[in-house]
Amino acid sequence: MDFRKICILIEQWVEKFNLAPKWVHLTFTLVAVYFFILIPSGWFFSYLKRKISADFQARVGPSTCGPSGLFQPMADFLKLLQKENRNEVSHTETLWLSIYSMIFYSTMPVIPLGSLVLLVDTEISAFIPFWATLVLALGTILLGLSRGAITGWYGGIRIAVQTLSGVFPAFICLLCAGVGMKSFQWSLWAKSQGFFPWSWNFLSNPFEFVAFIVFVMSGLVILAVSPLDGGFSMSDIHGNVSSFLHGRWLALYQFCRFYVFFMWSVVAVVLFLGAWVLPSWVYTLADGEHLKFIGIVELLFLLIKVFFLMLVIVWISCVTPVSRVDQITNFSWKILSPFALVALVGASVLFSWKTVGR
Amino acid sequence: MRLSILSGIFSYFGSVTSSIVSLTGSCMTVIPYLLRLGDNSKEITEGYPDPISSKIADDLPPRTRGFLFNNIDLCTGCEDCVRICPSRCIRVEAEQAGNSSKMWVSRFDIDFSKCVFCGLCVEVCHSESLVHTRQFEGAAYHLKELTEHFGRGQVTFEQREKWILLRKMVEDDEE
Repeated sequence: MDFRKICILIEQWVEKFNLAPKWVHLTFTLVAVYFFILIPSGWFFSYLKRKISADFQARVGPSTCGPSGLFQPMADFLKLLQKENRNEVSHTETLWLSIYSMIFYSTMPVIPLGSLVLLVDTEISAFIPFWATLVLALGTILLGLSRGAITGWYGGIRIAVQTLSGVFPAFICLLCAGVGMKSFQWSLWAKSQGFFPWSWNFLSNPFEFVAFIVFVMSGLVILAVSPLDGGFSMSDIHGNVSSFLHGRWLALYQFCRFYVFFMWSVVAVVLFLGAWVLPSWVYTLADGEHLKFIGIVELLFLLIKVFFLMLVIVWISCVTPVSRVDQITNFSWKILSPFALVALVGASVLFSWKTVGR
Repeated sequence: MRLSILSGIFSYFGSVTSSIVSLTGSCMTVIPYLLRLGDNSKEITEGYPDPISSKIADDLPPRTRGFLFNNIDLCTGCEDCVRICPSRCIRVEAEQAGNSSKMWVSRFDIDFSKCVFCGLCVEVCHSESLVHTRQFEGAAYHLKELTEHFGRGQVTFEQREKWILLRKMVEDDEE
């Protein structure tokens, strides 16, 4: 009995309950995305990050577990799963971790991973990942409040303040990137760009370039990714948001942290860095069965760009000092927001000038 | 007024530009390490445990604060170490040992998963029963293995009386 027959049997069973059988395909696709794209990406990125930061610090890095230490992230993950918890996780902490995990299940279908895995392609698709960032902020506030101490309360609120300070410039940059676009559909965004860097959005004009830089940095602020992790990096002022987590809870937390960084990078690549578009001659060769193969190549090409962007950010985080929450919110409101507004106004004026000129 | 606004704008953009220049310079400093150019080809740190540079207990400085050891024969059960411990990793249960002035320390547990090795308990110990050893390798598979038990254990009143008599005989012989 092969996989397709199993799907058909499940669909026939589901139809008896008057539920749309398409959700079966969607579920299997999400499971496939989780196990064959997200987890291997997390594994590979973790390995690359540790190796590169080790090189920067004249260290060896992972080297013993598997060929050149390739299996080290998986070994660490399995170790964390088996680790005993020091203290029992309370119901409030369980609630926070559940909310944190919701980020996966609410935004996974929306991530644009190429034409093969484009599950939700609506006119507001580009806004939906922001939901993940706000859920993350809510979850972190709850975690801080659940600590039952002043440091926790202030720490949770500081995280919320940091998140909100980053959302404003990020939204402005999204609007800037969307100047001239008819909607915020992922496929439209991909079609508007080409394979070569000079056809990408971020090089179309100086304002789009500024918008790209501000968008990426705003994402780091919202998601508290190093080097702008602020509250997450200092246990005394962020209310021990993650310092009490052990074992499998810590593994889930760390994977969520990778996921939000990955998701934001995918959105940045699709909006500004040419998405998954391959050279035009590749598409002329595609027919029927080869389309799926093209989809896989698009996915790999997208992942290469995403990892490159993520590793540049890791490179910058390795050479910059840790910032305080107030320094980050200051930076976000006084530097990122004005630049985002200037980029939006400039891009709008440029677009109007071009359309009037026609 | 106009001058201050202009100067404000210039200083704003000046600080942004200097930050970008500084960040770029910082990023460039690690390129020789990444590409292993010149003297940066050697990796300074070694894997643990390395046969060449690994430390053994004898290599460590004299005042090293390693794992704690409590000589229960000297311990008076005063619980000063319990009171001073910042991480509350020491647990002591002591009771009067019959007519003797000595305390029967039935339980003296140190949870090394909580211990921060600050040394305050050793400093405050009057009888000098609690000392730092030079042991530093304590990895274990289970949390329970990280708790060391130094107490004499729970015994009945009669057993304790017997111990006191035996102890007195040993002390008399030593004298």
